[in-house]
Amino acid sequence: MLNEHLKKLCLLCGASGHEKAVRDYILEQIKPYADCVKIDPLGSVIAEKKGAKPSPKKLMVSAHMDEVGLIVTYVNEDGTMQIAPVGGIEASVVIGRPVIVGDVGISGVIGAKPIHLLSGEQRKKLPKFAELYLDIGAENKAEAMKIAPPGTFAHFLPAFAELGGGKVRSKALDDRIGCAIMLTLMAQELPYDVTFAFLVQEEVGLRGAQVAAYTVNPDMAIVLEATTAADLTGAEGDAKVCALGEGPVVSFMDRSTIYDRELYHLAFAECERMGIPCQTKTRIAGGNDSGAIHKSRGGVRTLAISAPCRYLHSPSCVADLQDIENCMKLTYAMIEKAVQI
Amino acid sequence: MNLTEILRILSQAEGVSGWESPAGEKALELLRDYCPDAKIDPSGNIIGHMGNTLENAPHILLDAHLDQVGLIVTAITDEGFVRADHVGGIDMRLMPAQNLLLHGKKTIPGVAASVPPHLIGGEQKVLDVTELLIDTGYSKAELEEILSPGDRISFDTPFQILQGDRIAARSMDDRCGMAAILYALELLKNKTLPCKVSVLFSAQEEVGECGAETAGYTINPDMAIAVDVTFAMGHGDDPVKCGKLGGGPMIGISPTLSREISDSLISAAEGQNIPWQPEVMSGTTGTNADRFSVSRGGVRSCTLSIPLRYMHTPSEVISLGDVENTGRLLAAWLKEGHYAE
Repeated sequence: MLNEHLKKLCLLCGASGHEKAVRDYILEQIKPYADCVKIDPLGSVIAEKKGAKPSPKKLMVSAHMDEVGLIVTYVNEDGTMQIAPVGGIEASVVIGRPVIVGDVGISGVIGAKPIHLLSGEQRKKLPKFAELYLDIGAENKAEAMKIAPPGTFAHFLPAFAELGGGKVRSKALDDRIGCAIMLTLMAQELPYDVTFAFLVQEEVGLRGAQVAAYTVNPDMAIVLEATTAADLTGAEGDAKVCALGEGPVVSFMDRSTIYDRELYHLAFAECERMGIPCQTKTRIAGGNDSGAIHKSRGGVRTLAISAPCRYLHSPSCVADLQDIENCMKLTYAMIEKAVQI
Repeated sequence: MNLTEILRILSQAEGVSGWESPAGEKALELLRDYCPDAKIDPSGNIIGHMGNTLENAPHILLDAHLDQVGLIVTAITDEGFVRADHVGGIDMRLMPAQNLLLHGKKTIPGVAASVPPHLIGGEQKVLDVTELLIDTGYSKAELEEILSPGDRISFDTPFQILQGDRIAARSMDDRCGMAAILYALELLKNKTLPCKVSVLFSAQEEVGECGAETAGYTINPDMAIAVDVTFAMGHGDDPVKCGKLGGGPMIGISPTLSREISDSLISAAEGQNIPWQPEVMSGTTGTNADRFSVSRGGVRSCTLSIPLRYMHTPSEVISLGDVENTGRLLAAWLKEGHYAE
């Protein structure tokens, strides 16, 4: 069920501010399991699920629905379009790629000047976003304006693939992994009441999390994420940051948050009790919705549980299905244990 | 004849230089409808014959190359990543997070490693091909059961229909040239020709026109036309160096080409109201025509080029109309018989 949700969610397109397709899937899936569902003014889904007992502390478990993408900023006279990144994307993972454009899913490509016409110097320089453009095959500006006027979103072409060693390759693993875990947990019996928040606009500044945390007003929060793994040949020790196959990543600190120390230790203890691997991030890098949630109202004790993921914010991220499964097991355990602190 | 379908079949078939056999099998199947004697030669070229069998009929070679650019496995690292080198001109700027297919004992998906924005400190550089790491998810031991040095790697991108009559796909260089020749043969079906025609789908063009060199010797024609692709104007490109996408086939004019053939192609296009564009070069052409013209005692040769955007990227864009018009022009020229007057 977890893997099936993950694949279906990854094939959907939902750049920040454009999460409708993902939200619609989630609403459909949680209908039989949620006791109360609200959609907030920004588009986040807040779903209450009753557990075996009322929780002594209000717990919010969240993941973000949005992914990094592209937005059309200007239509050129020749029918091509200028684009800007929605969220943090390197131009090198966009250039020359197939994309789908707009709600109806028009095919397009990001143009790359042929290598034959580049000088030796140009070949060694990474492209900048301002130099990239989108080509949908339109003859001219008028035709292009009808199909993809400024403000139209474009997404990496969905292409979910199973790799070797139980790994998967897809766009948007960040953070459909978290969404898939929450959907799977909601279909189970839980020990305590939980509020599940499927959030918008993480990639453009944790904005969905900020307002949803205010609305939910939790005592404690668990953020489910995908975090950057650099466990490649040539990366030694701490330079790997975290590694695929070595279990859930529980951070003590990143660029957005210093995490609750007690929850951090509890997570490792629970993994040890269950006999599943667990790791921390060995570089202070990246950030996630915790950054907004832990500072909500008078403060929220917060923990992030992340699946290690290679090549984040690209059309082809790679994650390990066993890690994702273990993230779900740890989350279930924390739902039971964290609120008893 | 469904030209789009032929382009789809040819684009999706594998044929990185020196290992053209999967694409060759498809090509052979398509060519045998017109040249029942078609077969594969020792260099991996596909050669077939048709037309007039009289001894004094001029012998014309029509060529398009069968191979595509790609990569070749050089090593497997201890951590299970694949090292590779390029086969033909590959733009390293667009390799990060590029989807790839690795063709060993079986075909497996993979992705070229990228560094996510979260971990980038300072200026990023374009990797040298020797620094490239390809992730398949497998461990070294598992990979060694599937892959070995010398196996080919190709782009894993889909065939996309764009607006109007435009198509984006990998390997349109030069599968669209093959499709144009097949279209010409279809137009000439059951027609009497004043010439003998040899059709060549040549191997190893991207690594120095090797197939053309051997097949040119074997076929020993009186005249040769290399049907290949050339640069179509992308956004901001230099109009002096590029043709117009959708503007019709580009007839080569160059000191190394036969001006008589160029002129006869132009008059055939004018006579049939087929749109065409001149492609003026000042020396060699970077196509198989460079080999044909110096084959044995010399062969009068010319180029006929289909404009294509984003050459050697995973998303090469062509106009179906240009492919059709290239086929129409070839058919008209062969039928009229004023080859080099």
